[in-house]
Amino acid sequence: MIRVSEMDFTYEKSKKKAIKGINFNIEKGEIFGFLGPSGAGKTTTQRILIGLLRGYQGSVEIMGKERRMLSKDFFENIGVAFDFPNLYQKLTAIENLKLIGSYYKNNCLNIDELLERVGLLGDKDKKVEGFSKGMKMRLNFIRSIMHDPEILFFDEPTSGLDPINAKIVKDMIVELKERGKTVFLTTHNMTVAEQLCDRVAFIVDGGIPVIDRPDNLKLKYGKHTVKVKYVENNVLKKEEFPMDSISHNSNFFQILKSKNIKTIHSQEATLEDIFIKLTGRELL
Amino acid sequence: MRTIKALKADVLFQLKQGFYIVYIVLILIYMLIISQLPSDASKIAIPLIIFGDPSIVGFFFIGGIVMLEKIQGVLQYIVVTPLRIREYLLSKIISLSILGEIAGIIIGATTYRESINWLLLMVGILISSVFFTLLGFLTVTRSDSVNEYFIDMIPYMFIGILPCFSLIDFPYNWLFNIFPSVLGLRLIFGAFYGISAANVSFFIISGIITNILLFNYTENVFENRIVYGGESK
Repeated sequence: MIRVSEMDFTYEKSKKKAIKGINFNIEKGEIFGFLGPSGAGKTTTQRILIGLLRGYQGSVEIMGKERRMLSKDFFENIGVAFDFPNLYQKLTAIENLKLIGSYYKNNCLNIDELLERVGLLGDKDKKVEGFSKGMKMRLNFIRSIMHDPEILFFDEPTSGLDPINAKIVKDMIVELKERGKTVFLTTHNMTVAEQLCDRVAFIVDGGIPVIDRPDNLKLKYGKHTVKVKYVENNVLKKEEFPMDSISHNSNFFQILKSKNIKTIHSQEATLEDIFIKLTGRELL
Repeated sequence: MRTIKALKADVLFQLKQGFYIVYIVLILIYMLIISQLPSDASKIAIPLIIFGDPSIVGFFFIGGIVMLEKIQGVLQYIVVTPLRIREYLLSKIISLSILGEIAGIIIGATTYRESINWLLLMVGILISSVFFTLLGFLTVTRSDSVNEYFIDMIPYMFIGILPCFSLIDFPYNWLFNIFPSVLGLRLIFGAFYGISAANVSFFIISGIITNILLFNYTENVFENRIVYGGESK
C-alpha cells in the first residue's frame, strides 16, 4: 500500500537532512507504528506521505503511484487525525462533521453511529468550544474515518483521552484494520504501539535503525529471566533466574519449596526498553 | 459542486463567528453618516461609501476569517481534504462579494434619491470586492498573528487604495486603469452619473483579466505558504 525507498528530505532553511534515506513498506490491512522522540522525523515523514511536503528525494509510492504525481483526489482515500484537535470552535459537533464530510465523494458512514461509539451522540448539537480536550480528540478521530478512507494517518490518537475512551479509540483502530484499512500510526506512546501495531519502525535523527513486529523485538531483545519475590525473616527478597536453564535450576526450585513466595514473573522487556537499548535515546 | 459546499460552509462559519452582525452594524453606520450629509455632498459620498464598503469587507473580513481558521487549526485540516485551494479561495470570494453586493444595494436604494444603473453598480462592486479579497488573502498568508496582519496589510492597502486617486484628472492617469480597484470605482461612479459604453466594456474586461491573473497568483502563493508551509520545492 505504501512503499518508501531511500527517502531523503531537507528543509529549505536547514542544511541538515531531516530524513536520511529511509526505507519501509506498509501492506494493506496493516497497522504500522512510527515511533520516535520529538524531532526525530516522525511528523516530517507523515507530512511527506500525506503530501504536505514536496521536494523529497527517493521514492514514495502510495497505492501504486508516486506521491508527487498524485492529485488532490488522493485525499478521497485518506483520513488524517492530527495530534491536536483542529475543529470549527463555534460550530456544533455534527456541523463540524457534516461540513467537512460534504467535501468527499464517498458517502459518509453513519455519523450518529460514530458519535455514539465515541460517546458524543448526546453532545452532537453542542458547540465544540465547550468541549473538553478529550471530547475534541474523539471528534477529531471520527472526522478522519467518517468518509471510509483506505489509508489512515493517526498522530497520537489517544493523546488527552481517559483510559476508557482511549480503549474505545484503540478498539476502533483494530476494527479498521480488520476491515482491510491501512493505518500509519505516529506516536511516542510505546504502550499504544505495542497494543495496536503489527510492525513498528523506530525513527531517530531522521533514520530508521529498526523495523520489526513488537513481539519479535521483545523476543530478540527481552531479558528472558524469571523474577521471584519471597519473604524471609520478615524481609522481602527477590532473585532472578535465566529462563533457558530454569528447568534444572536447583536454587530456583529450592526457593519455591522452602520460601514464602509473593510473586513470580517472567521478565519481558517493554518496547520502550528496547527502543532505548537500540537507539540510545529516550522517548520524550 | 465542492465550491458550493465550501460556500455553504463559509456562510455558516461567518454567521456563527458573528461577522454578519458586525456587517449589519457597519451598514447602519454608513446609512447614518449619509443621512447627516447635505444632499450635494451625499451624491459624492454614496458612491464612495459603496466602493469603500466591499474594500473593507474584502480586506478586513478575509483577514479575520482566515486568521480564525488558522488559529482554530481548521485550515490545516482543510488542506488534507479533497477541497482544492482554488475552490477554497473562490467560495470565500463569492461569500464576501455577495455581502458587498447586498450592502451596496441596500445603501444605494435607501439613501440615493435619483436613478442608479443597478447592473453597472453590481459589476463595479464585484470587481473591487474580488480584488480586495485577493489582496486580503495575500496579506493573511504572510501573517501568523493578528498583529502581524495589521503590519503586513499596509503595502497591500496602498496597492488597493492609492491608485484610486487617479480619478482626479492628471496626465497619464489612465495608466492606473489596470488596477481593479480603480476600474470598480469608475464603474460605480458610472452607475450614478453615467458612463460611455466603450468605457464600460474596457473597464469590465480589464477588471476581469487583472482579477483572474491575481487569483492565479494568490492561489500559488497560498498553496506554497499554507499547504506546503513555505517549502516551495
